[in-house]
Amino acid sequence: MSARTPSAPPARPARKRAALAGLLLLSATALIGSAPAGGSAAPPGGKLRVDTNSCGTPGERLPAGPLAFSVTNDSKVFATLYLISTDGKLAYAEIPWLGPGKTLSLATTLTGGQYAVRCVFSSGPVLTSGPVAVVGTATGAVAGYQPMGDLEMTAPVKAYRAYVRTALPELLSSGRTLDADVARGDLAAARTDWLTAHLDYERLGAAYSSFGDFDQSLNGLANGLPQGVDTPGWTGFFALEHGLWHGWGADRLRPVTQQLVTDIDGLVQDFPSEDTDPGDLPLRAHEILENALQSQLGGIADYGSGTTLATLDANVQGTEKVLDILAPLIRPRDPGLLDQLNRQLPAFQAEVTACRAADGSWTPSSRLATAQRQRLDGDLGRLLEELAVLPNLLTPRNHA
Amino acid sequence: MITPDASDADHRAPAERTASAQALRRRAFLRGATVGAAVGSGALAGAFAAAAEPEPDLGPSGRRVPFHGPHQAGITTPIQAAASFVSFNVIAPDRAALENLFRTLTERIRALTAGGPVPATDLASPPTDSATLGPVLPADGLTVTVSVGASLFDGRYGLAARKPARLDPMPVFPDDNLVGSKELHGDLSLQICADSRDTVMHALRDITRHTRSGMQPNWKVDGFHAAPRPSGTPRNQLGFKDGIANSDVGKAAVADAVLWTHGGAAGEPAWVEGGSYQVVRIIRMLVEFWDRVSLHEQEKMIGRRRESGAPLDGTAESDLPDYRADSQGLLIPMNAHIRLANPRTPESADQQILRRGYNYDRGLDTDGNLDVGLIFCCYQQDVARQFQTVQQRLAGEPLVDYISPTGGGYFFTLPGVRDQSDRLGSALFA
Repeated sequence: MSARTPSAPPARPARKRAALAGLLLLSATALIGSAPAGGSAAPPGGKLRVDTNSCGTPGERLPAGPLAFSVTNDSKVFATLYLISTDGKLAYAEIPWLGPGKTLSLATTLTGGQYAVRCVFSSGPVLTSGPVAVVGTATGAVAGYQPMGDLEMTAPVKAYRAYVRTALPELLSSGRTLDADVARGDLAAARTDWLTAHLDYERLGAAYSSFGDFDQSLNGLANGLPQGVDTPGWTGFFALEHGLWHGWGADRLRPVTQQLVTDIDGLVQDFPSEDTDPGDLPLRAHEILENALQSQLGGIADYGSGTTLATLDANVQGTEKVLDILAPLIRPRDPGLLDQLNRQLPAFQAEVTACRAADGSWTPSSRLATAQRQRLDGDLGRLLEELAVLPNLLTPRNHA
Repeated sequence: MITPDASDADHRAPAERTASAQALRRRAFLRGATVGAAVGSGALAGAFAAAAEPEPDLGPSGRRVPFHGPHQAGITTPIQAAASFVSFNVIAPDRAALENLFRTLTERIRALTAGGPVPATDLASPPTDSATLGPVLPADGLTVTVSVGASLFDGRYGLAARKPARLDPMPVFPDDNLVGSKELHGDLSLQICADSRDTVMHALRDITRHTRSGMQPNWKVDGFHAAPRPSGTPRNQLGFKDGIANSDVGKAAVADAVLWTHGGAAGEPAWVEGGSYQVVRIIRMLVEFWDRVSLHEQEKMIGRRRESGAPLDGTAESDLPDYRADSQGLLIPMNAHIRLANPRTPESADQQILRRGYNYDRGLDTDGNLDVGLIFCCYQQDVARQFQTVQQRLAGEPLVDYISPTGGGYFFTLPGVRDQSDRLGSALFA
């Protein structure tokens, strides 16, 4: 849950919006979850009082359909509540955080089966109520999901950090090539090598909040700067793109390419000591492409090179990498989703690369034919609807 | 037609006395969708009973318009307060995916128009609903009417042989301003109407969310239905009552003759039974110019009094113009809008259309003039025989200087969804 709080160092505006949207999304879930599902008549369930000695005494038998327990935390500590299968394998509903003395609704729609309420107190106790037999069948019943413990994310985070560590020297090398082009005044070569370096960076899309302030200096858009593209001190790939495609001379570009190399080098040095929030990984699996839809397919991030589709392609690769790393956690929880994404991501990538001209150059997104754009928008839109499941699916639910 | 209580006449009088703004608005709907003078009794009973029905606890409006029936809702349904007309291109990769799209559309429209609690959200997913209407969806008079454009019957889905006989792309009429328009045609159109704006928005947001890889929106125009000022037929943004004369589709015989398409008749394929042709035209009104025109000249152009809506040879809105008694056009000029649109001759009888338009208001042009006008929408049995003939007759009418048609399209509105097991387009794909 805390993964989306904007505790990370200042990020570019698009990212902060993403973080905020995340918060709103989550509170909306809570709202819907806590609303009586049956309109004015409260669904069955009734009151449930819990404390560190008892996870309440829910009714032993409830009809299938919408149900809601009004849970009051009588303890002096915070509690997390789950509605689980009696074998503890699946969770169906939750109250992520219930303060001392507070009451919230644990609500969902269940079909026939054996369920129980689980209480996880912040002081340590983990308790389970007696079984609740839900009888009958219900339409619109929610699926149960295997909860994930926070430690399960350790291995993927490790794998992800190893991937970034391997990729960073490549980025440094392509940054140096770009700087050397500008140093000898070969701006044609610089325009080609700019793309290579930028895509090397964008392929790490997953990493942005792991990169702290370096991301702003390396890949900051002009949006949010006081004078836009004319703001002195604007650095990074987009500043260089703007300059390279708007007639800047080598002497004006050179300080920016030098700064780029300095910043990449700084990142290489710094990365081992920067923390990677485990919650970031599933979040990135969704949001890299949310950002790509807005900035790349939408064309906001085109500062003259017309290569936002190349960036989109790199972002798809970045997403595939994260998905690959998360696959061992997704597979047991939603194998169908993983299979679907493993089919759709490469198919979408093929669709993006098919937008290149015969000579291999990228089509600016503003020049996509309507049919092409609609296909890309539609397929990316569907991908996003599916990727949106990952952050919640892979939220730590310890002891659920 | 509207509510389970539609035949319960006993409730009418007291409810009419309570005449809330809501009830007034519903009477306005009635006038919008039926002819002024000879109102079909079926439609009358339905609409008045709708006002009479005690409001169930469903939120903004208790009106629930049935989704199932031989025809889609949103055609003869008394007109709602808010509308969006949205054109889509279908991007489904193949025929099976196209059929899936219609299946999904059917499911979403069925659920949205029924209203009720939104489904519970599982632990892994984002919320099942946007909650812009709260946790319990109000039915709110919502209708979503699905139509298809001629382009859907190209080679992509093997439907060429099934194209409705009269379905062609909307042509350019001589007075149109369509060059550079980004609001033309489409594989599929949705007419989304409800008693409040947020219900329309909610429905569109829900539908696009569920159909991303099946269709993508091309253009969208939002409309509002004006209140009667002070009574009778609501006014358009030229200040004139608009929609006074309309097909009396409350009469089954009229509806069968001018509104619904019939399978096997007039060269139509069998599957079109119960459908209708939809015309949508975005007609900007150059209101700054119009406001600089004398009242006399305005009335001559329209053929009605601005204040009362009466034809220039009559005294009340509901009076029928008598063109035979005015064959020289001394009272109602020969080129007045109402006279050209409906000359009321035996020959023009089967050219009548069912108008279901909305006003629109969407900002400014580069000169600071208001971009306001009419979303003209009409339904008919044969677009060539009806709308197109009327439109051709209107070519060059004096009014054309004050209006500017900037977009739209021709569509075929699919037959209704009969019951729970049926779906939109079932006959088309059968």
